[in-house]
Amino acid sequence: MTTEMTTDQQCCAEYARLSRRGFLGGAVAAGSVLTLGSAVLTASPATAASADSVLVVLSMRGAADGLSLAVPYGDPVYYQARPRIAIPSDQLLAKDGFFGLHPRLAGLMPLWDAGEMAVIHACGLPVANRSHFDAMEQLEDADPGSTTRLGWLNRLLGTTGDTSPLEGFYVGGGVVPTALFGPEPTMAAGAVDAVEIVGDDWGPGRRTSLHTLWDDGTTPLSPAMRITMEAVDDFAPVHDTTDTSATYPDTDLARGLAVAARMIRGDVGIKVLTLDQGDWDMHTNLGTLGWGAMIRNAAEFADAISAFFADLGTQRPKVTLVALSEFGRRVAENANYGLDHGYGNAMWAFGAGVRGGRYYGSFPTLQNTLDADLLVTTDYRNVLADVVESRFGASIPTVFPGLSRQPVGFML
Amino acid sequence: MCAESEAAENETSRRGLLRALTLGAGGALAGGAGGLVAAPADAVAERRARTCRCVSRKRCRCACRGHYRATCPCTRCHGPHSRGACPCHRHEGQPPTTGGDPGGDPVPDPQGPPPPLLDDPAGRVLVSRFSHGVTPALVAEVDAAGGAEAWFTGQLRPDAIEDAAAEETYGWWPSLAYPPATLWSRHTAGTEYGWQVMQSYQRWLLMRRIRTRRQVQEVLTAFWENHFNVPVQGDSVFVHRVGYGRAIRPLALGRFEDLLKTVTVHPAMGLYLGNAVSTKAHPNENLGRELLELHTVGRGHYDEDDVKDSARILTGWRVAGASGGWAATYQPADHYVGPVSVMGFSHPNADADGQAVTMQYLGYLARHPATAQRIARKLCVKFCVDQPSAGLVDLLANTYLAGDTAIAPVLQALVRHPEFAAATGAKVRDPAEDVVATYRALDVAIAPPGSPVPEGHVTNALLWQCNNLGAEPQAWPQPNGQPADNESWCSPVRVAASLDLHVTMSGGWWPTVGATYRTPASWLPGSSFTLEQLVGHLAVQVLSQRATPSLVTAVSQVTGYAPSTTMSASHPIVRWMFPRVLTTLLDSPLHMTR
Repeated sequence: MTTEMTTDQQCCAEYARLSRRGFLGGAVAAGSVLTLGSAVLTASPATAASADSVLVVLSMRGAADGLSLAVPYGDPVYYQARPRIAIPSDQLLAKDGFFGLHPRLAGLMPLWDAGEMAVIHACGLPVANRSHFDAMEQLEDADPGSTTRLGWLNRLLGTTGDTSPLEGFYVGGGVVPTALFGPEPTMAAGAVDAVEIVGDDWGPGRRTSLHTLWDDGTTPLSPAMRITMEAVDDFAPVHDTTDTSATYPDTDLARGLAVAARMIRGDVGIKVLTLDQGDWDMHTNLGTLGWGAMIRNAAEFADAISAFFADLGTQRPKVTLVALSEFGRRVAENANYGLDHGYGNAMWAFGAGVRGGRYYGSFPTLQNTLDADLLVTTDYRNVLADVVESRFGASIPTVFPGLSRQPVGFML
Repeated sequence: MCAESEAAENETSRRGLLRALTLGAGGALAGGAGGLVAAPADAVAERRARTCRCVSRKRCRCACRGHYRATCPCTRCHGPHSRGACPCHRHEGQPPTTGGDPGGDPVPDPQGPPPPLLDDPAGRVLVSRFSHGVTPALVAEVDAAGGAEAWFTGQLRPDAIEDAAAEETYGWWPSLAYPPATLWSRHTAGTEYGWQVMQSYQRWLLMRRIRTRRQVQEVLTAFWENHFNVPVQGDSVFVHRVGYGRAIRPLALGRFEDLLKTVTVHPAMGLYLGNAVSTKAHPNENLGRELLELHTVGRGHYDEDDVKDSARILTGWRVAGASGGWAATYQPADHYVGPVSVMGFSHPNADADGQAVTMQYLGYLARHPATAQRIARKLCVKFCVDQPSAGLVDLLANTYLAGDTAIAPVLQALVRHPEFAAATGAKVRDPAEDVVATYRALDVAIAPPGSPVPEGHVTNALLWQCNNLGAEPQAWPQPNGQPADNESWCSPVRVAASLDLHVTMSGGWWPTVGATYRTPASWLPGSSFTLEQLVGHLAVQVLSQRATPSLVTAVSQVTGYAPSTTMSASHPIVRWMFPRVLTTLLDSPLHMTR
């Protein structure tokens, strides 16, 4: 053993650094939150080797109103049911004669025009569920009738057959969403810097010490401790990639997608990432094109996704992004310039493999009654299954047990 | 009605967001549960006769071989015991033999008093599994009680234990005491949203776990509150959720039948699993099914017809909506009338008031052998090992049935079983357990939050720390409750987050508002000591265990000093490397398992 290893001066510098990092660590802990806001990132690298395909799943939490984002302007009932908040058809983008996009989605038009963006309308759960909480569980579990909490993305990772130490690996902090929850280890981190063994900067003695404590393998945590250290090491290339977050918009979602892009550019074998965008539950003050929550959230959604695809560099041809909500909203507006909980919704697909520039799905005739829903004509699992099949070639009965498979056809 | 945008600005964690999102209508109802059923007096006398001869309150005689114990385990003296299991230290798990009881004056215990807890590995397993972390104060309590088992027996009567430090925390969050109608009106007015009340509730639970001297009761409360899971984030559940947890606590060491009756008809459960809006025309099968599948017998013992009748029996227990102040009511007009049959239970169910048939049905389920097996196994997985032997599960199930669903005798049979003492280090702390145990280990003093709660106050941070480790208390989002096995809490995500927690807390770097950490000087064993002596002292002070050789080596490696290094308060290890030393203790298996 050595004696004095460092001078007081070094000590104070280290103390200050630790204090700051410790504080930030705590702040990130506070729900990946103080820094990322309502956009929380989780990632699951399935292999240390380069991934062939990367799937980003963006959950629009709170039930986004698909009828405001992908507007059925060709159905007059839309305008009858929404006398104050309907979007005038002359303001819409990407019009195809029936549908048009919200004008604040302008940032997505380059992807649309390049055929890299598709909208699938009137999608949802097989059975309506208006509880955010229950619907998210069902949507992400995607295995009706099962009582095991095991998400569809976790099942997807279980099909890769990968034996790398990174398969079976979580990193980071925070409560893992249901879609990723299950026996396949995954990672969760709100920031690239959070993927670390805290104390590594004390020197190699930190790792040596942990090995001394855990390598005898006598406790159930011993393998987890070893895998954690290996995973952090395998993640190292991400730390070396450029932090491009300054080029993104100043929004929670953009900050989250900047982290996602950096992880993907690190090319450490991450196959699936999930991401949340909050604040979609617009019972009041969804608003108009002049004011309200919809214009803000729509722009955040579009501009962050646009910046994300522009930031992927050589990895871009691998990356597909899917966005969805737990359910949709009512057809008719309420008294508060808002919309209550409904059923069917639009789903969104971008990037690799997408046969884009058009709208998909069978759109039912709208009804203008107090509690009328957009009915569901496409089981959301069939949309996800198109992506899983096209990009991963995975077994659909394994990933979506019991699904009556009907391809939607928006993937190459 | 939802009000998430302000909520998200206040606190934008995913959890907070989810909570803010979920507020709908619903209705449900409450009602008193059935009362305790007293065991026949002759049965009590018979049990007493078979297991011990009381010599005095502190000294009694085991019926098996005439051994004496420091503390009487019988119902008359100190606490309940399990029939058929010898409470003697020497005969754990063996049935008592008849005869051989000389009676007469007390004789010296051939074993002598139990060793101090620090030198009693089996006793330490008991205290660790049934507390939220062993501390020097707890060690002193155990030693004063006459050993781990005597302490445990005393803990089974929590009302006799002074607990002011934990009790006062209830007043730290005034909304915990508000009635449902008040909570709802504050929620709709935007004064305090339901999810904020639920966060206060979760924080209160964590504070209780840190402070309470009724550790066994609190550990079992967490166990049952998870078994009968009503997630705090569910819809309108918040109006009744605090009352739900507070109804479970006093029953946590009582009888399972009473627990089952209380939770099944509680308005929080009714709101969560839909029984609050169930009618005879359209029975909502959610609670009727989970009652069978999760709360009692488990899958494989019933069919879909049983589920239908299970739901029919439960119709009538309603909860008024917001306009009715969320009052729990029984509505005979909604109760399904007609013969019902669930497994071996059948009833003419002819009365529109179905409260009695509900209670009979729940009593049947509580006493079902399949329920006994499920509860026994679940207790084993939580408190002993993930793969308990069939013999142990059977013993506990039989104890449960013999004791008319009494919980304490089952726990006593468990802790006296050889498999229990052998299970050192076999259970991983879950996220909330790690957070709570870390505060206890580091002896962090926590001040009341006050009003308004200062930004970053430690009582707020406690919950964020749990979230960071992957699970907040009572927030598991499905009715089955969070898993108790090790594997669920061995993910790399969790491990890395725990290491972060330990480092941050060891340095006293965060949280700081309202938290007072001990100074390095206060942890020292004297004015001059070796590193090895320091580790030995800290292991006892922080972990309430003897230091292992690998712990000494690990601290030596992380600091870069030899174990034999002599030092004082001015040494760099004390002056600025102390967080490394403390975190190495907390990062060790000695702390991360329980």
